[in-house]
Amino acid sequence: MSAPVLVLRGVRKTYQLGAHTVPALQGIDLTLQPGEMLALTGPSGSGKSTLLNLAGLIDQPDAGPGNGEILLHGRRVERCTEVEATLLRRDAIGFVFQSFNLVPVMSVADNVDYPLFIAGLPWDERRRRVAQMLAAVGLAEHAHHRPDALSGGQRQRVAIARALIKRPRLVIADEPTAALDSHTADQMLALMRELGQAEGAAFLVATHDLRLSSRCDRVVHLCDGLITDISSLELAA
Amino acid sequence: MTLHSMLTWLRFAVANTRRNRRRSLVTLAITALGTAGLLLAGGFALFTYQSLEEMAARTTGHLIVAKPEAFSTEEDTPLQHGLDDADALTQRLLADPSVRQVLPRVEFSGLISNGDKSTVMMAVGIAPDAEFAVKGPFVKVLAGRVLDNSDRLAVMLGERLARSLKATPGSSLTLLASTTDGALNAIDVTVQGLIATGVPELDARLVYTDVATAQQLLGSKRISSLGVFLDRMAATGPAQARLQAAWPQLAVQTWLDQAAFYKSVRDLYNRIFGALGLVIGVIVVFVVTNAMAMAIVERTREIGTLRALGTLPRQLLQSFAMEGMVLGGSGALLGSLVALAVSVGLLIFPVEMPPPPGRTNGYPLQIAIDPSLYGVTMLGVLLLSMLAATLVARHTVRQPVVDALAHV
Repeated sequence: MSAPVLVLRGVRKTYQLGAHTVPALQGIDLTLQPGEMLALTGPSGSGKSTLLNLAGLIDQPDAGPGNGEILLHGRRVERCTEVEATLLRRDAIGFVFQSFNLVPVMSVADNVDYPLFIAGLPWDERRRRVAQMLAAVGLAEHAHHRPDALSGGQRQRVAIARALIKRPRLVIADEPTAALDSHTADQMLALMRELGQAEGAAFLVATHDLRLSSRCDRVVHLCDGLITDISSLELAA
Repeated sequence: MTLHSMLTWLRFAVANTRRNRRRSLVTLAITALGTAGLLLAGGFALFTYQSLEEMAARTTGHLIVAKPEAFSTEEDTPLQHGLDDADALTQRLLADPSVRQVLPRVEFSGLISNGDKSTVMMAVGIAPDAEFAVKGPFVKVLAGRVLDNSDRLAVMLGERLARSLKATPGSSLTLLASTTDGALNAIDVTVQGLIATGVPELDARLVYTDVATAQQLLGSKRISSLGVFLDRMAATGPAQARLQAAWPQLAVQTWLDQAAFYKSVRDLYNRIFGALGLVIGVIVVFVVTNAMAMAIVERTREIGTLRALGTLPRQLLQSFAMEGMVLGGSGALLGSLVALAVSVGLLIFPVEMPPPPGRTNGYPLQIAIDPSLYGVTMLGVLLLSMLAATLVARHTVRQPVVDALAHV
């Protein structure tokens, strides 16, 4: 078995809301294997988004010893600097947001190209990969359109293409189907699985959508910052 | 950063400035007006400086050669510190390659009388033909004509002095002055012309005559100083050094050493236009800052997204600096075109300015078109805009990604 993409060990995170300390995560242990698609479920406030933020290196666990470790491809990353985290996000992590978060002044091709552009890849290679990716998500004809000229499903396909274009080891998806109708949501999920497997990416998906979670390899249920249930397709079978 | 990558950032910057066109247009218009204001004010100041420089150099000569005491000590008797054998010195000065003309001057004061009334005069003895050939029409002839070399015992009077003495061309007057021996001397002269210099106080005292008449009145063959006219303004410094080295016993001053009016006007204008430039610069910074601040607040979530995707803060700052550059640069370019159009328009359709305080003559309003002024101003506006955009973006691009993504 290959090395896990992501390992969380005893991760804790608390927020200070005025005089109150709110525990968002209370010692989370989680491992994500290459190519695996893991669904995080749970009610609002259960800690799904906090867990995604920590896994995506846009936030850090509580300071001090005993608040957990995060390993990305075997490397400890929970205390890396802002620049190190930014470069890791740029090179190894893809993001799919609930409301797509495409840049409105960029064309579809520019949005998809952006991660390669900031990584400094040569123009010829970028152009080739963007063309391939847009063809893969069925948007080759919309390359020069602005996002506001696309439907919700098309926008999310652009977002998925943007997340996968750099061949990340980990894709963080926060409610990726929440803004989509069921048919489009099915298409997105199929697309993510297909492209993820092709690129070897692992997916960490926060969702309330039962149809989405039921098609993931594993489902981790969170409640009050704790993992209360883990189920997998194999176990279910 | 490669050229292609820079062009890509620039393309994004241009696209971002088009998000809110009305706001960008207002920013651009104010920046353009600020730039035009700076260029027009600066151009007007430059034109004034150039005119005053020319006037000052034309009045005294680019260089003034005299005995050192003539510049530092008051004379006890007329021409006490005057130059002897001016003709020989003039010939030697004319041998210098950059010297175009050398004009003798005899400056003295005394009384001028019409027989019934006497008044104080400030008189200058000149070599008329050379003086008017070199200086051009530096005085306005109101009646009669200017002096020429054939005139002897003739004068030109300032307008107000002539009015005071009820003198007209052809009138006979008497000049009274102390000779170099301290005796009082008088000679009769004929009025050839009435002139106006544009300075009423000067016109109430001014008398021009020829050098020989002045020397006859003062009982001396000396002259006060020699005005040296060069082939160009820029030759002043080197020529001064050369002539001073050749005649160490004499003092060689530049027109600037004697141009107290020019210096005071320049000091005043530098302060006025400096303050104006500062105010306009602050306005440009505020306008760009305001526009960028609104744009950045609106795009906080997008900034969070770009940061999450792996964009470094410095890359985002660079992007916002480019937006500032696009706004400021477009405004600076447009403002420069407006200033250029106004400057050229004033050449085609002249506008007469009212006389300045203490003067009787107006002057044409002109704006100098100076490439270095345009370059410095445009670059300044561009850099200020980039700085304003960078400063205002600094906080947002460095805020935690989680907070930026949660921004509503």
